[in-house]
Amino acid sequence: MKRSLFGRVWPNATAVVLFIGFVFPVYWMFATALKPRGDILADNPVWFPTDITFEHFETATGADHFWTYVTNSLTVTVLAVVFSLIIALAGSFALARMRFKGRRGFIIGFMLAQMAPWEVMVIAMYMIVRDASMLNSLVPLTLFYMMMILPFTILTLRGFVAAVPKELEESAMVDGCTRAQAFRRVILPLLAPGLMSTSLFGFITAWNEFALVLVLNKDTEAKTLPLWLSSFQTQFGDDWGATMAASSLFAIPILILFVFLQRKAVSGLTAGAVKG
Amino acid sequence: MTVQTERPPSGPADVRKADGGGSGGPRTRAASRAGALAPYLLLLPAVAASVLLLGWPLLKDVLLSFQNLNMAQLIQHVTEWNGVENYKETLTSEQFWRVTLRSILFTAANVALIMVLGTLIGLLLARLGRRMRFTLLIGLVLAWAMPVVAATTVYQWLFATRYGVVNWVLDKLGWHSMADYSWTSSQMSTFFVVTLLIVWMSIPFVAINLYAATTTIPGELYEAASLDGAGVWRSFTTVTMPFLRPFLYATTFLEIIWVFKAFVQVYTFNEGGPDRLTEILPVYAYVEGVGNQHYGMGAAIAVLTILILLGLTAYYLRIVLKQEEDEL
Amino acid sequence: MKRKLIAAIGIAGMMVSIAACGGDSGDDGKKAGADGYAGETLTVWVMDGSSPDQWQKDVAAAFEKKTKAKVKFEIQTWNGIQQKLTTALSEENPPDVFEIGNTQTPAYAKTGGLADLADLKSSIGTDWSESLNESAVFDGKQYAAPWFVVNRVVVYNKKVWADAGIKELPKTRDEFYADLKTIGDKTDAEPIYLPGQNWYHFVGLAIGEGAELVKKDGDKYVSNLADPKVAAAMETYKKFQALSKAPKDKDEATPQQGEVFAKGKTGAFIGMGWEAGIAIETNPAIEKDLGYFTIPGATAEKPEGVFLGGSNLAVAAGSKKQELAKEFLKVTLSDEFEGALAKANGVIPNKDSLQSNLKGNAAAEAAAPAAGGGGTTPLIPEWAAVENAPNPIKTYMTAVLNGKSTAEAAKQVEEEFNKRLSQQQ
Repeated sequence: MKRSLFGRVWPNATAVVLFIGFVFPVYWMFATALKPRGDILADNPVWFPTDITFEHFETATGADHFWTYVTNSLTVTVLAVVFSLIIALAGSFALARMRFKGRRGFIIGFMLAQMAPWEVMVIAMYMIVRDASMLNSLVPLTLFYMMMILPFTILTLRGFVAAVPKELEESAMVDGCTRAQAFRRVILPLLAPGLMSTSLFGFITAWNEFALVLVLNKDTEAKTLPLWLSSFQTQFGDDWGATMAASSLFAIPILILFVFLQRKAVSGLTAGAVKG
Repeated sequence: MTVQTERPPSGPADVRKADGGGSGGPRTRAASRAGALAPYLLLLPAVAASVLLLGWPLLKDVLLSFQNLNMAQLIQHVTEWNGVENYKETLTSEQFWRVTLRSILFTAANVALIMVLGTLIGLLLARLGRRMRFTLLIGLVLAWAMPVVAATTVYQWLFATRYGVVNWVLDKLGWHSMADYSWTSSQMSTFFVVTLLIVWMSIPFVAINLYAATTTIPGELYEAASLDGAGVWRSFTTVTMPFLRPFLYATTFLEIIWVFKAFVQVYTFNEGGPDRLTEILPVYAYVEGVGNQHYGMGAAIAVLTILILLGLTAYYLRIVLKQEEDEL
Repeated sequence: MKRKLIAAIGIAGMMVSIAACGGDSGDDGKKAGADGYAGETLTVWVMDGSSPDQWQKDVAAAFEKKTKAKVKFEIQTWNGIQQKLTTALSEENPPDVFEIGNTQTPAYAKTGGLADLADLKSSIGTDWSESLNESAVFDGKQYAAPWFVVNRVVVYNKKVWADAGIKELPKTRDEFYADLKTIGDKTDAEPIYLPGQNWYHFVGLAIGEGAELVKKDGDKYVSNLADPKVAAAMETYKKFQALSKAPKDKDEATPQQGEVFAKGKTGAFIGMGWEAGIAIETNPAIEKDLGYFTIPGATAEKPEGVFLGGSNLAVAAGSKKQELAKEFLKVTLSDEFEGALAKANGVIPNKDSLQSNLKGNAAAEAAAPAAGGGGTTPLIPEWAAVENAPNPIKTYMTAVLNGKSTAEAAKQVEEEFNKRLSQQQ
């Protein structure tokens, strides 16, 4: 079927406009962070930074305890994601591959758990942690973050597990593997893209969390990056260069992770689906 | 990250005979008994975590909602039960119902925009050539990957009264009154920016998943449809849509949850202002509870918030319930 | 409002004080326990900007010398402080000593979170100024120690004013306005930086009009924003705010107005003397251009009304280091350091005998003439809730500045204001 010239042009034109729309805020963040002060507060915006300066990044990283926050954020996020993947993998395998009483109840339960509005429950969580004498620690934070991402992880992984052809597992078992071995050698490798793409969600949620850590951890030693970013904004007010540099630093790990993992995840899903 | 529909792609056939089955004999029976326990054991960690880390705070929150809990009670660790007083006061306050209505409208408007635009962009992705598709995907992924706190900060800068690039563009386009416009000054302008932000950061999820879903539609279905003489529109409605429907349901469900809970965007951008006019339920619960140090009241609003969210998603939950029933 | 009590501070006393008073309290601490505190660390919360770094270092050194214990100062911001403080006070390890705003003290005194400091009052506080101590006493009990009060002045950039050709400082509100206009016309500087929600200044203006923001209705306080005198104060605020490009929906701390002023492109701002310190810290070159004058009132005879903002120091009831905390207060509030703080920051110290430290401090000298006509918001436990975000007074101000009539705006926030004033404790 041949398409008219118009039919060929408009999708591309729309795509270009959309691309600009989606990328611009991200671009503007980096551009502002790299511009000298005078160019930021210019009467006519400087669209492309020509005099690049790292002064704002220095201001941002020079803040007290910056590296403590980075370490805390990374620790909490990575641990929360890893724990939730392990727990979810076991659960999702049961939900996708096994038949048992109450299966539906579990699924509904996790869907309900996904709806928990964590921000409005912070005081209840605060009182629990306080009464357990666990304030200013990364442990409760890690556990709660793990829980925040667990339902989504289970439900999503369940789909990925189900997408792995059952026959592969069965033939492995015919070849003498135990069920556990079949899982480790056959299913797990096929699940890799699924695990990666699911971990993205967990990563971004835990990395962003703000309301809970604000009340739980008042000690500087136990704070995380989102607190730094927000206090940075109050502290530096209209110093947009520094604020954007801070935002950039905060966003970079997630951006890298996404660009790196997303392609694999999408192609993995597509390939798996087409094969299945 | 991808959305999975509630129906596993390979269908119900998948779940049969989970525990191996096969010939009898005492050894197998023992194994099958262990096998019957296996799913529960596998789910145990997840359930335990949920009970401990979600169930407990939730229960605590419900208990707090029946207490008079303010600064003094919190500091001195006293429990002062006050029955349904918090609920009574909340449910009879005009403001609560205003905020509830606002929350529902806000969620509806955002989700509708996200789903319609996301679907269109997803379909567009399927139509594009390879290079262009890749470019647009990169753009979408970047927007998607922006952490909420950073994204909100960036939008504050884009819409800054002085030196904000949006005001500059509007001014240059001839709308001179916008040159020094303060986007946080009115309810509608605040909602406009917050909606733009939420839609911007939510579309990629819908679009990319939808695109991924379209690639799984078997080409034969289209061929069959065109053999039957179906045009572009017909094959869209008879082939594409039915195939995508489960995806659309699942994503709509997730978006409703996410938008309804969009605390960070609303609170960070304008703290629910001006004059508390942009408070949605989670923000209202936070301002009344934590902000105003009326913790018991905040807990009651939180419980009501959860109930309202349940109500909003009940339809989808019922579909899932039925579907899972069919599968067993 | 307790304006008349504040008058007791006495401008005269301020300028001609008997320096011999007070004596040296350096060695009267209990030496017996001196070694008992070695290895301990006291946590102290102070607000951003209210005490200079050097002062903190000196206090820490003197404290360590006296008690062998260390002190850790943690700087807090006003924004969200109540939420943070309330939860902190409920914890196992609250800050041992903390700075608390004078208008917020009664509310916290009522919560039971503050330790009784009766013995401290009788040992070192017999000569605390009555007017300052008032906010630290609740139900007849001493819940905090008065630290300082301060009223706002006009901080101005001499260079900008000279560039505009202004020779003489304004004596009346109208002259002040005319001068700012001239700056706007003749220079490229912003005449005044006045964000829309500097509600402390607004309270001051209302006091100047002889009005209060709340009134008594039976035994309850209710909004008085509809009072024509309050409306007149708001009109004055609006008139001056129109000369500023500052955001109408932000307060003076976001961004810190001192930082804005530090750029040298601002004619003046209304703030406390130590806010000029923020400007100097941001841009040391600004120091030579800094000047202060009393906020001019409607007539040359009487300066503008001012809000007497202040801070007390309190000990957490839950602190496990009560004695050490009191030792810390004895050091901090000793004549040496109380005087040093007054000298450095230009704030009114807690004893009349220390007023002499203000001599030669330009900011303090500019503040002094107005102090007698200053006041505070009512010192009642219910007040703290009003200051929680979103503060209805700030909402009112922004509404008026965005074009609503004062009457309309007053009506708009009345319900919220009254709700907070009668909020269950």
